[in-house]
Parts: sequence; C-alpha cells; structure tokens
Amino acid sequence: MSAAPMRNLDLMTPPVVKTIQQRSLIIGLVFGGIAALGAWHQADEFFRAYLMAFMAWLGVTLGSMAILMLRHLTKGAWGMVIRRILGAAMRCVPLMAALFIPLLFGLRRLYIWARPLDAMADNHLREHLQEITKTYLSVNGFVIRAVFYFAIWWGLSFFLTQWSAEQDHPPMRDNSTRFKALSGPGLILYGLTITFAVIDWIMSIDPSWISTIFGLSFLIGQVLSALCFAVVVERILFRYKPMSELLKPEQVHDHGKFMLAFIMVWAYFSFSQWLIIWAGNLPEEITWYMRRLHGGWGYVGLFLVLFHFAVPFVLLISRPFKRDITRLVWLAAWLLLMRYVDLFWVIEPNFSLTFNITWLDVVVPIAMGGLWLAYFFRNLSAMPLVPAYDVFAVEVLEVAHD
Amino acid sequence: MKRTGVYGIMAEFDSVHTLLHAANRVREAGYKRIDAYSPFPVEGLAEAIGFHHDEVPLVVLIGGLIGGLTGYLMQYWISVVSYPVNVGGKPYHSWPAFIIVTFEMTILFAGISAVLGMLALNGLPMPYHPVFNAPRFAFATKDRFFLIVFSSDPKYKPTEVRSFLESLQPRSISEVPD
Repeated sequence: MSAAPMRNLDLMTPPVVKTIQQRSLIIGLVFGGIAALGAWHQADEFFRAYLMAFMAWLGVTLGSMAILMLRHLTKGAWGMVIRRILGAAMRCVPLMAALFIPLLFGLRRLYIWARPLDAMADNHLREHLQEITKTYLSVNGFVIRAVFYFAIWWGLSFFLTQWSAEQDHPPMRDNSTRFKALSGPGLILYGLTITFAVIDWIMSIDPSWISTIFGLSFLIGQVLSALCFAVVVERILFRYKPMSELLKPEQVHDHGKFMLAFIMVWAYFSFSQWLIIWAGNLPEEITWYMRRLHGGWGYVGLFLVLFHFAVPFVLLISRPFKRDITRLVWLAAWLLLMRYVDLFWVIEPNFSLTFNITWLDVVVPIAMGGLWLAYFFRNLSAMPLVPAYDVFAVEVLEVAHD
Repeated sequence: MKRTGVYGIMAEFDSVHTLLHAANRVREAGYKRIDAYSPFPVEGLAEAIGFHHDEVPLVVLIGGLIGGLTGYLMQYWISVVSYPVNVGGKPYHSWPAFIIVTFEMTILFAGISAVLGMLALNGLPMPYHPVFNAPRFAFATKDRFFLIVFSSDPKYKPTEVRSFLESLQPRSISEVPD
C-alpha cells in the first residue's frame, strides 16, 4: 500500500483530452453557425430548442455539483475516482451563465407573461396573470432572480474548486471539515435555487399550471444526467493512464447502483406528479397532461416510461452489467439521450398541440454541447485527475491487494 | 448421528492472505467441493473457492412477481368485484391508483423471499454441522481462517489432500469426523 506521491503515477489527463477538446469546439462552432441561421429564419423554433438545450447542459453542470457535494458529505472511493470529472463539469457554470444571455432576447417568444396583450386576450389566463405579472413574473424579476441563482451556483463551485486545488500540492491535507460545512447547506441551496429556476424558466411557459414536485423532478434529472456523463467520460479516460490504473470494478459497480437509484427516483417523482394530478382531475392541472398524452405526444411519454425507466431498470438489476464499464457506458449514453427526450416532452407540448419536432431541436443541443464539451475538457485538463494530497486519495491510489 | 466416516480435511490459516492463496491453489489443483470459513467477509474469497452464482436472485424475482400480482389482483377484486365505489366518475378498474400498493407488495414479497430463500438455500436452521467437530474451529469466529476439502470431492484421497494442504503453510491440519 502506497499513496500517490510514492507511486510515480502521472495523474494528469492523457493528451487525447486536448484532441477531444479541439474537435468539440469545431463541432460547436459549425453547428452553432447553422443554428444561428435558424435563429434568423425560424426564431420561434430556435428559442424553444435553445431553452431545451440550455436545460440539458445546465443539468449536467449542476448535477455534477450536487453529486460532488454528496461525495464530500459521504466519502467513498466511488466519488474520489470521478471527483475531478464532476469538478470540471461544475466549473462550466460561467459558460452556462453566458449561454443564458441569448435567452433574454427570446422572452417574448417563449413566455406568454412577457406578452401582456396576448395574455389579456386569453380568457383562461386573464384572472391568474394580472396579479402574477405585477408581482412575480416580470422581465425585471426574471433577470434579477437569474443573476441570483447563477451567483449562488458560481459561489459554491468557486469554493469547492479552490479547496480541491489546494490538495494537489504538499503537504497532505484533510479539507473534509470545510467541504462538509459548505456541502450540507450547499445541497439545500441547490434544491431551493433549482426549484425556483425551473418555476421561472419552464413552468412559467404555462403560468396557470402548478406542480410542487416539478423542481424536484428536474433536480433528479440533472443528477442522473451528471452521473451518466461522468460514466461516459470515465470510460473514455479508462483507455489511457492514469484512469486505467485507478478505476476498479467496485467503483463502476457503485456508479451503476447510483444510476439505478436515480432512474427509480425519477420514475417515482414523475409518477407521483401524474398520480396526484390524475386523481384530482382539476381543469387547471389536468390540462398539462391532456396536452402531453394526446396529439402524438402520448407515444413520447410511453417511450419515456419504457426506455427512461423500465428497460434501464431491468438492465441495472444485473450485477455483472453494473460492474463492467464497457457495457455500463452504453446505458449511460442512452440515458443522456433520454434526458433530452424527457425535456422535449415537458417543454415542447407547450407550443404545439400535435407532435412536432424541427431540425433546430437536433442542431441547437449539438451546437451547445460542442461548446460545453470544449469548455469541460479544457477544465478537465487543467487539474490532475485525483487530488494526490487529499488524505482520502489513498482510497483509489493504493494498489489493490494481490 | 453415527460417526461413520470423515467429513473432510480442514486446514487452519493465520491470515487472509494465506487463506486466499491456499484456496486458489486448492481450486487450481482440481478440487471442486471445498469451502472456507473466516471471521469477517473476505473480498475475493467466493471467487477463490469457485463459488459462481446462487439461486437467491431467482427466488427474489419469483417472490416479487407473486407479490406484485397479489397486490394488483387484490385491489382489482376489492374495487371491481367485491365493493365497487364510484370515485370522482373514474372507472372501477383505475390502474394508476393501484400502482402504489402493487409496488409496495412487490418490495415486501421480494424482501421476505430474499430472507427466507437465503435461509432455506443455506439449509438453516441447522442444529448439527460436522465442521464444528474440528478441534480448533471455534477460532473461525475470532482470528483464524479455515479451508476444508470435503470427502465427497471426486478427487478426494486422504493422504494426498493432507500432504497438499501441508504444502500451503497452514497452522494446523485436522481430519473432520462426520
């Protein structure tokens, strides 16, 4: 048993990370150019796709931060081995803040409360909106709250990164007390801010509809996206040193268990929302599901039940499947796609009664993803893959017995 | 019980390392019916003695399916056959409302079958077991590690097994009477 400094294992990321970073940037710029043309000609469709892409990549960013804080509170080798992957994803908060700005130009296209004349013309909305738009749903309020959310997320990410970076250099440090003191309140803050953010950015597209579990179902979706993303990245890095030396089947097993737990929580939240609204059957609530179960949208919903929950659930029951990174990675990649389909099913029916998908719904998330990945891999190569001078790094750096 | 024969030959080891090493060597030598005893779970020991899979997951699956079906059919019988009540104009057979109890019953039955299935497949409760005839076996709950080659093994020959085990640096070797 020996810790990193004695093992002479280079913990920096392999050169392939630079290559992926460059290719991601090229894809991001090319698709970004195509998407910009779309923004010019089909602005309505562009902003819908942009909102979905934004929520998808924000999910990986914030979900990574949440799993990282969870790791600081609970410890364990499963978290140590993906800690810097999560950290690099978390440090994309400034990029997401920058990518939020274009949304402000689409407010009037996305949100009925930003178009008072349309809102007043809608009999159903008139009584609700008069109060709400004066007090809460105004453009100023929307912007100020967004600044507030991003400030909190950036603050958390800043301290978590600073303290982690200290552990790259001697002497050996135990920062766990500081990490815990921040992560406990941090997770609560994350839960609250994401709930309010989702109310502002998604639920307010249909301002007369409310669901109190809505924020939580986004939260679990973000955490699931982040975990799947970390598994995909760890698989890519597993082909090269140092990850090929660090990653053990036990840790992959834990990642698989988390994946199973998260899809079950997602199913639980989604089903609870549906059951309560179905049982109540009130006109102002059930309309949300009427839209999403008719006009072709029902098939998307059924697809999600089967391929976001049932099939992954059955696969993840298997122990050998969870322990084998080369197989688990395919499910992780699939679930990342399913996360986008889920966002599509939640957001897009607000704008169309019948099933409707445009080329922008495909191009915009790829464009944003390219930029996001380029930024992510830049962050990843900036720090070693394991903080070697964390006293707990031994968990993954020690040689397995025999 | 009559002590007619020999249950197996048991070797005692000082450490996890020597036990794992011995278990691997014994398995590689072609012995199939072997078992090991340790005071705490030892990672890799199950693989070392050639233990591949067990039937508990199958028992749990069957238990879960029975539980789920019981839960669903019970609610169906109550709400549709035995005592139909019109709730908010919904059909008597309103499957969304049945899901929660169905789910809970699945978990309950799967959990109970896991415990009972594990006990049954291990043959528990078992008032008599020959390994306790080994003189120093009580230390298996303290700080010693044991490996046994059963006399039912097809390759079992008392002198060969004994001399092979002796080559693996055991602390002691004893014949376990049946």
